[in-house]
Amino acid sequence: MVTTLYDVAYFLSSSLLDALGTHLPGILGTALTNSGLIWLLAAVIFGAILLGASMINTIMLIWFERKMLGRFMDRRGAMHVGFAGLLQNFADGLKLFRKNTFKPREADALGYYSGPTAYMVTSLLIFGILPISSGWSDGSLPLTLLLALVIFSFAPLFIFVSAWSSNNKYSLLGGMRSAAQMIAYEVPILIAVVAVVVVAGSFDLTTIVNEQQNYWFWGPLFLALVVFVTGMLAEMERIPFDLPEAEAELVEGWNTEYGGMLFAFFMLADYLRALVGSILVVLLFLGGWTLPSYLPAGLTSFPLAGILWFMIKTYLVFGLFVWIRASLPRVRTDQLLRVGWMRMIPLSLLSIVLAVVLVAVRCLPVFGCLPPVGGT
Amino acid sequence: MAASAPPPEKTEENPILWVARPMWTAARQFAKSLVRPSTIIYPFERLEDPKFRDEVQVASGKPIGVGHVWDNYRGVHALNIATCISCNLCAFSCPDVCIEMVTVPGGDPKHPKKCPQIDYGKCSYCGFCSDACPEGCLSMTTRYELSSPKRADLVYSPQKMYEVFQRKLPMSPIRLERPANEDAILLDAPLCIGCNACARDCPTNCITMLDIPKAVAKPGEKLPRRIWKEPVVNDSDCVRCGTCISVCPKECLFWGTHP
Amino acid sequence: MSEMWINMGPQHPMTHGLWNLRVKIDGELIVDVDPEMGYLHRGIEKISEDRHYNEVITLMDRTCYVAGLAWEHLYIIASEQALGVETPERAQYIRVMTDEFQRIASHIMWYAAFVQDVGLMSPFLYGMRDRDLVLDLFQSFTGGRLTYEYNRVGGVRNDMPPGFTDRSRKVLDWLMDRFVEYDHLCLGSEIFRRRCDQLGVLRAPDAIALGVTGPMLRGAGVPRDLRKDRPYAVYDRVEFDIATAEAADVTSRYLVRMEEMRQSVRIIRQVLDWLDHHPGPVLAEKLPKWLGAPYAPVGREGYLLRRNYPKGVGFSSVEEPHGEAQAYVVNEGTEHPYRVKFRSPVFANIAACKKYMIGYRVADIPPIMGSVDICVGEVDR
Repeated sequence: MVTTLYDVAYFLSSSLLDALGTHLPGILGTALTNSGLIWLLAAVIFGAILLGASMINTIMLIWFERKMLGRFMDRRGAMHVGFAGLLQNFADGLKLFRKNTFKPREADALGYYSGPTAYMVTSLLIFGILPISSGWSDGSLPLTLLLALVIFSFAPLFIFVSAWSSNNKYSLLGGMRSAAQMIAYEVPILIAVVAVVVVAGSFDLTTIVNEQQNYWFWGPLFLALVVFVTGMLAEMERIPFDLPEAEAELVEGWNTEYGGMLFAFFMLADYLRALVGSILVVLLFLGGWTLPSYLPAGLTSFPLAGILWFMIKTYLVFGLFVWIRASLPRVRTDQLLRVGWMRMIPLSLLSIVLAVVLVAVRCLPVFGCLPPVGGT
Repeated sequence: MAASAPPPEKTEENPILWVARPMWTAARQFAKSLVRPSTIIYPFERLEDPKFRDEVQVASGKPIGVGHVWDNYRGVHALNIATCISCNLCAFSCPDVCIEMVTVPGGDPKHPKKCPQIDYGKCSYCGFCSDACPEGCLSMTTRYELSSPKRADLVYSPQKMYEVFQRKLPMSPIRLERPANEDAILLDAPLCIGCNACARDCPTNCITMLDIPKAVAKPGEKLPRRIWKEPVVNDSDCVRCGTCISVCPKECLFWGTHP
Repeated sequence: MSEMWINMGPQHPMTHGLWNLRVKIDGELIVDVDPEMGYLHRGIEKISEDRHYNEVITLMDRTCYVAGLAWEHLYIIASEQALGVETPERAQYIRVMTDEFQRIASHIMWYAAFVQDVGLMSPFLYGMRDRDLVLDLFQSFTGGRLTYEYNRVGGVRNDMPPGFTDRSRKVLDWLMDRFVEYDHLCLGSEIFRRRCDQLGVLRAPDAIALGVTGPMLRGAGVPRDLRKDRPYAVYDRVEFDIATAEAADVTSRYLVRMEEMRQSVRIIRQVLDWLDHHPGPVLAEKLPKWLGAPYAPVGREGYLLRRNYPKGVGFSSVEEPHGEAQAYVVNEGTEHPYRVKFRSPVFANIAACKKYMIGYRVADIPPIMGSVDICVGEVDR
């Protein structure tokens, strides 16, 4: 049975401290082992593992997008650094890391530097609370979904701060667009999520996944799924809704003035958010780490099977986003906002009504006969 | 007139059909290029490679390299120094003035052999020089990679172009059909001093100096014995390079048609 | 937010080429526009005065770098008129064929750049891929992929290589399928229609008054096409229709260009059939003396100038992919043209931008400007 990641971190930190404590004399050793230091160290290890995992995943996500987009465009994508270009993005990251970070003379230093940093940090923060396998979280945080969405919605602030402080007209326009767009689309996302909560009966992501034992929520809550995916596209600023960095008119939108590592922060945080969006879709609508029960049990019984299937689902959902990016043009700001306020919000409200009706008339089990039938 | 109101809404369609067609088209392309994309892996594969020479129908339907496309390519020049006659026609015909005639070893010390040296920093690959070459010794090859960290490396000396020639790269099978050139070198005879400069410098040795008595002695007058010579051009060998005209000290040679 | 000017260019993803569009915006609304050209001025007209008639052709390919053969044709007609040279019939047909192939290549290039402006990513690559096939064909008989140097005063440099017509037909068949795909990706996409319908409207009276030509004029419903109205070369001997659209917006320009490509395919098929059955010379037998050889074997010292050639003046107007281009060549009896003057259609099309840009939004600038099909090389010359 897979233990939680925090258990692993705790075990590592306690054994480390024990090893240290036995070698330290007397009172110092006992103080080291008995103090709260063990929790602190465990938290640090936990964070380090999360950071590493999420960064590697993000970079692999970029690779995945590049390769997939390449095939959509009848070309091959990155292919020379590492096998099939696997290391290309690491090389790119290294290049960006080595570059000089500079600030335009007229830019506001505080906002210019803190914007991307905060954007990056808040995007990373979400990973601390997302369960990605059955043993990941023990359910002690009852409001993980809400917390994730709250952290997710910090972004417009930081984007606007960095756009404004870089003192560039394109950046400012991009930042304003970004803020308007994200705020407009957070509302339908939250309302669509409420539909999921109504059916699942909990704000805890682990509970929501466990509730999808018999049927994944994409069937009964299809409307909410559509709204959620559309909203997530806007939140991630991916191509039908990538107006904030619409490169055709605003050179790079709100990160026009950024270069080097600060740009890498934006880039990585964008993909982190794309990863979070895909993970949320998988968690809320596609049964998380579970597989349909009619599939052979051997598929889920090996160690780390949950994480494997979870990642595969996540990448497939992201593949959908890439597909959309490869085939659709960019919408205009007014159209985007009109769709957001006048289509998405009514649709999301409708999805809540549907969810309530489904729960009230107790016809949800009907979806149990639909493929894929849930269960681990 | 430009409308200041927001554009009117298009006819509402089923939102599913909204994006279905482009997404389906893109997905079909995805499936095709999953088998094999149309791109070739450039530094390792080249379009002029023999395997792309024949018609290759790849999975995505692109017939790459239709036929002998590359044989005709206008790339870096190949120069056969041995057959070059130093006629200067390539340098004359160059619109960008990037060809300079430089001395190559192996010529007569008195009249050194000169071959073209091309500055590819200026060259526009128009091919006028190879079309102008009367001996076919300057031709363009399929070679196109000549990046270099130094600008001086872009100046290709005759020897360097001879190395290109020795690689036996495919060269254009299309030779220009030259229309008959009625131009001929004519002599303004009274001006000629018989200096032999034109015959000496003629790259094809088509000018011979023939004895022509310049003056006839009047009865009773004694002239110093002196043979005057006049150039006579063999039109079938002449390549119309105009070297004789440019070396003539008295400007007595000129272009014209035979009467 | 108060109004402000932003510079879209000269280094900007929207400008395909090197020019500057200054836009005064109020929030997202365009209040005023001010195009600035001249960043790419190379003095082609002046350089032409120092070159032999055939050598100017190398400049023509660089005047419009996506429609080199059309511009060569333009200049060649004018200079042949000025020099009084007759062109063989086969060369005329070949020029028509190259013109139409060039139109396809240029329009595909336009398509690729335009969809990129609208935000579609993959069709850009499709367009570049399909244009490569036309370039392959060009390469097979001119030896160049972008700068062809193919036309000569009095004809063309060389005849088609063997098997060329069959290959062309294959490529044309393939391209016709791709045009359907292009339409699916653009016209079949509701987002695209919403972006481009009723956008950048330039009605026929304004367009005519401002000298706008080409697909922009035909997109406004005016059936004006020099190939029909004032046929040059052998355009009066091939059958085709003038593509027009009524809406005068970005979508109608798209429709016009797509239809023009199909009509070009139609023309090329007729010309290929003709070429199959009518071999002949492609370069005039009777050329002026100094053009008898491919180029005049004369020095730059001017010792030829004592000869007097017949003088003359040549004017030509050609429906090149972007619109009506015109050339004026004055022959004063020397080997160099005395004066060469070009009229670029894109210059007029851009200069009319106040009529079709004010009142739209910042996000509309790239699609509108993309629909103009800008080639800065010919604007600035």
